[in-house]
This record gives sequence, C-alpha cells and structure tokens, in this order.
Amino acid sequence: MGTEQKPNPVPASRASQPRVRLRACADIAGRLLRRAGAVTATLTDRPVSLYAAAVLRIGYGLLYLVFLLREFPHRDEIWGPGSAWTPELAKELFDQTGWVSILTLSDSRAYFEVCYAAAVVTSVLFTLGWRTRAVSVLFAAVVASFHARSIFMTDGGDNLILLMAVYLVLTACGRRWSLDARRTRLQASEGEARQRSTSTAGRTGPTGPTGPAGSVGSVGSTGPAGSAEGGLLPQLRRTRTTLVTVLHNCGMFVIAAQVCILYGSAGLYKVQGSSWSSGAALHYVLNLDLFRPWPALSLMADGHTTLITVVGYLTVLLQVAFPFVLFGRLKYPVLTMLLGMHLGIAVFMGLPLFSGAMIIADAAFLPDRFYRFLGQLWRRTPQPAEAVVAPSPREGTVTVPSQAGPVAVQSTR
Amino acid sequence: MPGGIESADVKDRQRTGTRPTAPQSSGEPPPARAPSRLAVPLRAGIGAAVLLCLAASLIHGVMVFLHVAPPNPVSRQFSRQVTAWVYPLFEQNWRLFAPEPESVNRQISARTARIAPDGTVQVSAWFDLSAVDTSAVEHNVFPSHTTQNMLRRAWTTYSELQGSDDEPRSERAVMIQKYLRNIAANRVATLQHGAFESIQLRVIARPIAAPATSDAGRPAATTARAPVDTRLLPWWKVTPDGN
Repeated sequence: MGTEQKPNPVPASRASQPRVRLRACADIAGRLLRRAGAVTATLTDRPVSLYAAAVLRIGYGLLYLVFLLREFPHRDEIWGPGSAWTPELAKELFDQTGWVSILTLSDSRAYFEVCYAAAVVTSVLFTLGWRTRAVSVLFAAVVASFHARSIFMTDGGDNLILLMAVYLVLTACGRRWSLDARRTRLQASEGEARQRSTSTAGRTGPTGPTGPAGSVGSVGSTGPAGSAEGGLLPQLRRTRTTLVTVLHNCGMFVIAAQVCILYGSAGLYKVQGSSWSSGAALHYVLNLDLFRPWPALSLMADGHTTLITVVGYLTVLLQVAFPFVLFGRLKYPVLTMLLGMHLGIAVFMGLPLFSGAMIIADAAFLPDRFYRFLGQLWRRTPQPAEAVVAPSPREGTVTVPSQAGPVAVQSTR
Repeated sequence: MPGGIESADVKDRQRTGTRPTAPQSSGEPPPARAPSRLAVPLRAGIGAAVLLCLAASLIHGVMVFLHVAPPNPVSRQFSRQVTAWVYPLFEQNWRLFAPEPESVNRQISARTARIAPDGTVQVSAWFDLSAVDTSAVEHNVFPSHTTQNMLRRAWTTYSELQGSDDEPRSERAVMIQKYLRNIAANRVATLQHGAFESIQLRVIARPIAAPATSDAGRPAATTARAPVDTRLLPWWKVTPDGN
C-alpha cells in the first residue's frame, strides 16, 4: 500500500509534446505500480494455505515426538552426556561452526533428562497447537538443539525436519485444527451467546429467531472495533494482522521453495551418477546391509531387473520434474507417485523417519479445499455427540417458548 | 493476543466468501468492516515490512539454491556470503544415494589390547561392530539412528577428513578420530568385560556385485572379480573420559 504514491516526479506544466510523452510514462509507471500493488495485496490480504500449514505443524510435531520416543532407549547415546560425541567435542565443534544447543549448557545427566522431557512436552504442545506461535519458537529451538548435538548421526530426514521447524515459526500454523483455533471458536460463540442474551432481553419474544441473529452479526463486527475505528489501538491491531499475514505468506513461499530445491537438487545430483543413468542404482541400494530390514523382500525386488530399472529412472524423473509440475494439474499424479516412492523407501530401506518427513513436505502442496473436504468427512462420520448437541441451544432457547403456545392451544382443542 | 488472530479470521472469512475484488482505493463503497485507511506511518511501516519479507524470502531462496547448485562462477564469487547465510542452520543434505549409491558394504571390527600384570600385551579377538548393527536393522520396522547412522557416518566422515595414512591433518579430523574411537570403545565395553588401554579398528569394504546382466552364464565370475579392500587402522589410546 505504501507503494501507491504519485509516480509523476515532474510538474506537468511544460510544452505539449513532452507532456504527452510524460503522460504515457506516467501511465506505464502507474500500471506497474498497480501491478506491484496487486502483488502486495495478495501478500497482505489473506494468509494462504492455512490448512496446509496446520498439516505441516501436526505432521512434524508428531514425527518428532515419535522420533524422540523411539530413541528413548538410546537417548543418552545420541544426545546425552554419555554420547560418543562427548559434550567437550560438541562444544569444540560449536565454537568452530557457530551452532548453539541447550543440551551442552550442562554435562549433568539430570539436566539432560529434563531437556529430553521438555522436548517431548514441546512436541506434544506443538502438535496440538497450544499457544502455537510461542510454542513453535520453542519447538524450533528444541529441534535445532537436538540436531546440533548429534550432528554426525543425522540424515536427510532430520535435516528436513530442522528446516521445516525453523520455517514454521514464520507461519500462522496454529490457525486451523489446533487448540488455539478451538479456543478462538469457543470465545466467539460465547461472546455471541452473551450478546444474544442481552439483545433478546431487550426485545420481546415473537421476532425471535431472525432478529437477534442479524443484529448479533452487525453488532459483533462493528460494535467494539467500529466505535474506536480511528483510534490508535485498532490501527495497531490491524497493522499487526497484516504483518502476521505477510510473514505467513512469505514463510509458506520459503517452504515451497525449499521443497522444490530439495527435489531438484536430489534429482540433478543423481543425473550425474553413472549408476542412476545406467539404471543399476537401485540394485546397489537394495543390497546395502544397513538399509535392508527385510532381506528376503529386497532380494525379491532385486530379482526384477526391469522393474527396478524403471523405478530408478522414474525416481530421477519425478525429482527433477517436481518444481515444474507444481503449477498445473499434473502435480496430483506426481505427488501420488512420490507418496508411493516414499512409502517404498520407508518399508524397503527401514527409513520411516526420512520418508515421513518427505511425505509431510509433499502434503504442503495440496490445496486447502482438499483439507476442508477431509475435515468435513471427519466431522460427518465419527462424532455424533457434538453434531447433535451444537445446534440445539441456538434454536432451543428462542423457539421452544414461542412454539409452546400454539402446541398447547392445539392440544386443548 | 487472541485479538489479532480473531480479526484475521474475520477478514479471512469475508475474503473467501466474496470473490477477491481487489481492494482498490477507487470509488466502490467499503464492505461491512471496511478498514478506513491506516495512518501514514503505519502504512509506510507495512510497506517496508512487506518489502523486507519479500527480499528476505527471495534472498534465502537464491542463497540455498547457490549452495546446492554445482560450483559455478556466481556461487564461486559469492561463496563466502552463501556459506555465512546457509551454515549452520540451513544446511542442505540431499545427497542420499546421489550421485552414486554406496556400492560397498563395510564391515567395521575392533579389537582391544591391555597390558597384563606380568607385563605382556594381551590382544583380544575382533569384535564385528557392523554385524551388530546389521542384525539390529533386520526385521525392524523403525531402526534406530544409532544402528543406521552412527558408525556409518562416523566412518565416512573419518575417511573424508583423513588421508589414507590415518594421520589427522586438521582439527576436525582429530575430533572425528576421537569420536570414532569412542564409538568403538563404548561398544566393545558393552560386549567385553574388563578394562583395556588401546583399541584398533579394521574396515573391510566388500563391493556389491554388479547386477547380473542378461548373459546369465557366469554370475559367479562377476562376484569374484570385485576386490575386497581391507584397511587396518593404527592403535589408539583409550582414555576414560573419552577426550
């Protein structure tokens, strides 16, 4: 909005020829500025992909929780003072690289256990979306601390979780499917109910159902905010909302760009390898002892030469193509195939954490209407209690008394 | 705090309901809760913030791209800035099985030595550390990082930093050597009772046979051709504190 200024720097009192040219220039500049204004508007108007952001939050929160709990028996070996990468070595490396970690603040075992418990609690709260913005900062700090402490034990999955945890701080990922959203909803309906009860007290019965609902809508939205529209506080609040929106949109853009860079570089690195271009790469992958939890399965897959050659080529193709298919319908089959690929990696190679991180990243590219549809599906099926109870107080309080009259009259006749 | 969230939600709902009719400042009458124009300093602040966010996002994207891209004139010119921006928080590690997947299985073993009371040196048998990892991975739906990544990555990092003569040439190489020694010592300590003064590692790299091609006549020949590489590391002193 700050860009909508007068583009014409020269006073327009000159000879006619330059004036025409100037006006043309001003026209073009104005059009450009309007275009820039439109870009700014899409950035500032509305937070994009709120559901996708919520999916990222829930996904990575849950994934990290599962990771922490899975490594519970090995926690000291990986992050604790008893690790082979001793606290001294870790601190020395931090001095060289500039990392920091809460885990190296003390070498005591008790302190470590407290940190571990705090990490578990933080992951749970982040997943649930409780005070999301503050908790997201904590979550990023936890993930970064634990990642840095065990830097020589991490793989691509951990790397992606760290990046996403940092990027999610920028987003409004607690706006949907979260405890925050629930609280906001409850507060809103509470306020609505209070307003309705005051307004129905003022009115008399018959106008019941329609009257209050309409007035509540207008009162609720214009009343408190509208009365002090010109005041400093509401203006600051609106500024804050806009800034939050901009930050969120930029955060989602960075996340999308990161995933594109990830796939693009993974694909292009592979193109440089001779075994990927000869189609033999998956043969080697299937024969690595450490990535072969089901040897019989791997052996069977290795026997199908044609199949693994095709899958190998497809992998490279999908990865390289990923950034280019995002803007069309083609992205759905590609995302589906990537999902299959990652499920395959999870099972065949025993890398569920890595695969999970990648699948969640892919999920960021699904549109919000898909997630809204999922939400509706979820609401329609398993929760009869809320669905039945919720509408009853609305009509109940107002319509029951007004209906009681006629019904009673009819029955006496 | 909820104020901001709530008002954003209201705004959101309005916008999704009606088609985005580009909120131009032209003549049209404002909708229900139309924002009257903000004070000029606030508007300028928002404009600056938008520019800053956009610039930061774009710069981040470019920096990360230059970091993962193959070395080129641009990334060489800005290598210092790129490194400063990306490390340590935004490190990118997407080389899983690229450009080539590992084509060897490494068997890392360790043996220990101690000086007996009579002054002779007693050397233990070899402990196969990799076999322990492999058997822990087998039939495991969710293998631990300690089995899949710990020894594997410690060794690859060691072999990248060290020359073939196992002489550490950098501070980092010394650190990794200690790390590798600690891993081995910790693992042997759980398998063997009794103290030891020094430890030695042996790494046997067994190449994975090339895929059997259509001439199914001699699969045995291809496996036999692959040379097995054995590397014996020097004895390392083991200190109780691991440093």
